Amino acid sequence: MTLIATRPGTGAARPYRFPTVVRREVAGGRVVAAHLPGQNLAVAVLLLDAGAGREPVGKEGLAGVLAKALEEGTAQRDATAFALAVEGLGTELVTGLDWDSFQVSVQVPVDRLGAAVELLAEAVRTPRLEPDDVRRVRDDEANALRMDWANPGPRADAVLRADLFGRDNRWGRPMHGDPESVAALDVEDVTIFHSEWFIRPGTLVVAGDLDRLDLAALGAAAFAGTGGGPVDRDAPIEVPPRAGRRIILVDRPGSVQSTLRLGHPSPHRAHPDHVPMTLAGTVLGGAFTSRLNHLIREVHGYTYGIRGDFASSRRFGRFAVASGVQTAVTAPALVEAVGEITRTQLTGVTEDELAVARSWRAGQLSVELQSPRAIASALTTLVVHDLPDDYHARLRESLLAADVAQVSAAAAAHLHPESLTLVVEGDAALIRDDLVAAGLGEVTDQSE
Amino acid sequence: MPDSGYPWPIETTRLDNGLRVVVSEDRTAPAVAVNLWYDVGSRHEPAGQTGFAHLFEHLMFEGSINVAKTEHMKLIQGSGGSLNATTNPDRTNYFETVPAEHLELALWLEADRMGGLVPALTQETLDNQRDVVKNERRQRYENVPYGDAWLRLLPLLYPPGHPYHHATIGSMADLNAADLATFQEFHAEYYVPNNAVLTVVGDASAAEVFALADKYFGAIPARADIPAAPDGRSVAATGRAAVETVTTDVPAPRVYVAHRTHPFGTPGYDVTTVLAAVLGSGRGSRLYQRLADGERIAQPDTVGAYGVDLAHAPAPLIVTATARPGVTAERLAAGVAEVVDELATVPVTHAELDRAKALLSTAWWRQMSTVDGRADTLGRYATQFGDPAKAAERLPAWLAVTAEQIAETAAEVLGAVDRVTLTYVPEEGL
Repeated sequence: MTLIATRPGTGAARPYRFPTVVRREVAGGRVVAAHLPGQNLAVAVLLLDAGAGREPVGKEGLAGVLAKALEEGTAQRDATAFALAVEGLGTELVTGLDWDSFQVSVQVPVDRLGAAVELLAEAVRTPRLEPDDVRRVRDDEANALRMDWANPGPRADAVLRADLFGRDNRWGRPMHGDPESVAALDVEDVTIFHSEWFIRPGTLVVAGDLDRLDLAALGAAAFAGTGGGPVDRDAPIEVPPRAGRRIILVDRPGSVQSTLRLGHPSPHRAHPDHVPMTLAGTVLGGAFTSRLNHLIREVHGYTYGIRGDFASSRRFGRFAVASGVQTAVTAPALVEAVGEITRTQLTGVTEDELAVARSWRAGQLSVELQSPRAIASALTTLVVHDLPDDYHARLRESLLAADVAQVSAAAAAHLHPESLTLVVEGDAALIRDDLVAAGLGEVTDQSE
Repeated sequence: MPDSGYPWPIETTRLDNGLRVVVSEDRTAPAVAVNLWYDVGSRHEPAGQTGFAHLFEHLMFEGSINVAKTEHMKLIQGSGGSLNATTNPDRTNYFETVPAEHLELALWLEADRMGGLVPALTQETLDNQRDVVKNERRQRYENVPYGDAWLRLLPLLYPPGHPYHHATIGSMADLNAADLATFQEFHAEYYVPNNAVLTVVGDASAAEVFALADKYFGAIPARADIPAAPDGRSVAATGRAAVETVTTDVPAPRVYVAHRTHPFGTPGYDVTTVLAAVLGSGRGSRLYQRLADGERIAQPDTVGAYGVDLAHAPAPLIVTATARPGVTAERLAAGVAEVVDELATVPVTHAELDRAKALLSTAWWRQMSTVDGRADTLGRYATQFGDPAKAAERLPAWLAVTAEQIAETAAEVLGAVDRVTLTYVPEEGL
C-alpha cells in the first residue's frame, strides 16, 4: 500500500489571537479599530443606529431607498462626479442593513482610506436628496425587489416572518421591505428618515494597519457636522410559540423544486443560552455535517443542501430551516426534517457531534477572521451588542467548554417542533394532496 | 503600492512522482490554507459524458480507502476548518483552511483521496451524489429566472466539439447515464500526482510542508499517459452574429452580449480585463453612465461586464443589462450594442482608465487578503503557467494597459459579426 493508513494527530496548538482593539472618542463620535500589521487593504464601516427596526410600520424598505439615494449627488458634487471620485480610489460605497444597524463601508488600499472615508461621510451626511432623484431611486428599488421576488425564496421568507411575528409589527415584515411597500414611499419619508437617523455621529469601525492610519483624522472626517446623541433602544420582545404546527402553501406553478422555510420564534441575542443554543443549532443544521444535511441530502438525495440555525438581533430571534427540494419529494422531506428537529429536541446531542460543532465554531474564529472585511464585521458585532474587546477570545473559551448537558438542555428549551410554521413555496397543484396526507399540520393556502 | 502583486515568499519543489508543491509562509494568523488544483475540468469530457468532472468532485467527499464515508467533512469541520471544491471548464480545485495545528490532517485527507478513492467508490455513493448534483442543477439553473443563461451562451460562443461548448453542470441525460466504471477510470486517468499542484499558504514553513508532502503523497504512483483535452485555442469565426431569443417566465427583458476574447494569462486578456472594468464595473462605468443613468433604459443594479477567466481557449467577455419597465428588449439590446461598439471608436479617457485600474487593484488585494485566496491564486499559476511566481505579474500587467490597447482589442474581438446576443423576453399574460 502506498498510502499512510493512520490518521495523523494534532500538532502543537497555536495561541488564539484576535487583533488588538483600539477605541477612541473623536469629534463627538466613537472609533473602534483593529490593528492588522502589514495588511495592504483597509476597511472602514460607518455604523448608524438606523436599522430596519427603526423604520415605521408600513415604510419597509425606507433605509434601502435612502442608501441608494446617498449616491445621487452630494452638497459638493453630482452623482457622476461622486461615482468617479469614489471609484477612482478603487472602492464603491457598500451599504448594509440589518435589524439593529445601518452600515456604509469602503474598502481600499490602506493609503487611500482617509480620502475614502471623507467621501463616505460626504454622501452620508450631505446627500442632495433631490425629489426627482429620490423618486427615481425608489422606483428602481421597487423594480429591483420585483426582480428579486421573482426568484424562489423571498415570498416564502415573508410568509414565515409574518406568521411568526405578525404583520402588525415592523419585525413581522421583510427586513428589506417588499415591492409594494417600497413603491408606496414618498420623498418626505426619505428626507425625514435621513434627518432623524443619518446625522447622528454613530461609530466608525476601522480594520487595517494602524501604523499607517490616523484614527483621529478618520473620526474627524466621519463625524464632521454631526449632532444629536444616541437614542434609547427598545427592550427585547417576548414572542410565545404558536399552539399547533401548520403548513402554509405559497403557489409557484411550474416550479421544479419546492422551497422550504420552517421556523418558530427564539430568544434575542443577549439571552444567557446564546452559546449552547448556537451549538445545538450547529449540530442540527448549521454545518455540512449537521443532522439535517446528512439526512436530507446525503442519505435521501432530496436536495442540494439544507441549513438550519438560530439567529438573533437585539430585540428578537428565530429558529429557521431553509432548503429547496425536488417537487416530488416535498412531503417526505418535510416529514424527515420535522422528525429530525423533534428528535434533537427530545434526545439532545451526542458528545461525538458536539465535539465537531464546538471545534468548528471555535476554529472558525481563527480561520474566517482574516480579511479586513471579516475583522470589521467582527468589530461591528462588538459595537452593536455592547461586547468587550476580548469578546472573541472569551467566546472561543465558552464554545470549547460547552458540554452535552448544557447543549441538550438548550435544544430541549429552545426547539419547538410542535409549534413550527412550515412554509412551502412550490407547485401547489402537484404537492397539496401529499402535504395534507402527511399529517404534519393544517394546510392553508397563502392568498396573494 | 508594491510593484509586485505578490509580496510574500514562494518556495516550490517537485516530488519524484511529479506532484508540484508550492509553499508561501505567512505567520500573521494561526491558520493554514491547503489547496489542490487538478488539471482536469469539463473541457476533458467527451460527448455523452457532460457533467462528469463536476459529479466526480462530489464523489471526492464521500470517503476513500482510509477515510470512511462522511468522515472527510467531519474531520475538517471538527478541527475548526472550512472546506470546499469547485469545478469549471479548465480545472477542479479542492481546498480547506484549518487552524495550523491541523495541517498534517488536511494533507493526509487529500493524499488519501488522491491515491485511494477507487476502492471506496460504490454504486450507492454514485447514485446518491448523482441525485445531489441533479438537485444542484434544478436549484441553480432551472428554478430561477435567467438561470440557464450560461448554459445557452456557451454553445453559441463555441462550436460543437470545442472543449468549452458544453457547461460544466452537464445535461440531465448524461448524468442519468453515468456509470461506476467510467468514474473509476476517470480517477485513474486524472487524479494522479503529476496532474496536480499542492499549495500551502500560511502558518507553516516550506521545509515542514515539503517533508509532509513527501510523507503522505510521495508514494502515490505517477501516470505517464494522461489523456489531453481537445485543443480549443483557435475558434473559427462563423462570420455572422449569433442571436437567440428566449420567451419565458422572467420578470423583465434581459440582454446578454458575449464575445470570445483571448485566453486568460495572455496580454490580450489583460487588456480585456481592464476593458471589462471600464465598460461594466461600478456606477462610473460606461454601461451604467449610458444605460442606467443617461438614457435610463436599464435597471441600475443589473448592468455589468466581466471576463470569465478561462485559460485554454479565447475566454468569454459577458455584458449584460435588464430593461426598465416599458423598455423593450430590442431597445435595450441596441443600447448595449452601441456602448460595446464605442469601445473601438470613442477613446477611453485617463479618468476612465484610472478608475478601472483602481477597482482592479482593490479586487486583487482583496483576493490576496486571505491565505485561502493566495493559495488558490498560486495553484492556478503553477497549474496553468508552470510557475506560481507569475501571479505577481498580473496586477502590474493590468496597471500597464493603455487606452490605445483597449481600442485595438475592442476593434479586434468585439466586432458585430463575432457577437453573441442572448435575449430573454417575458411571456405575455403572466
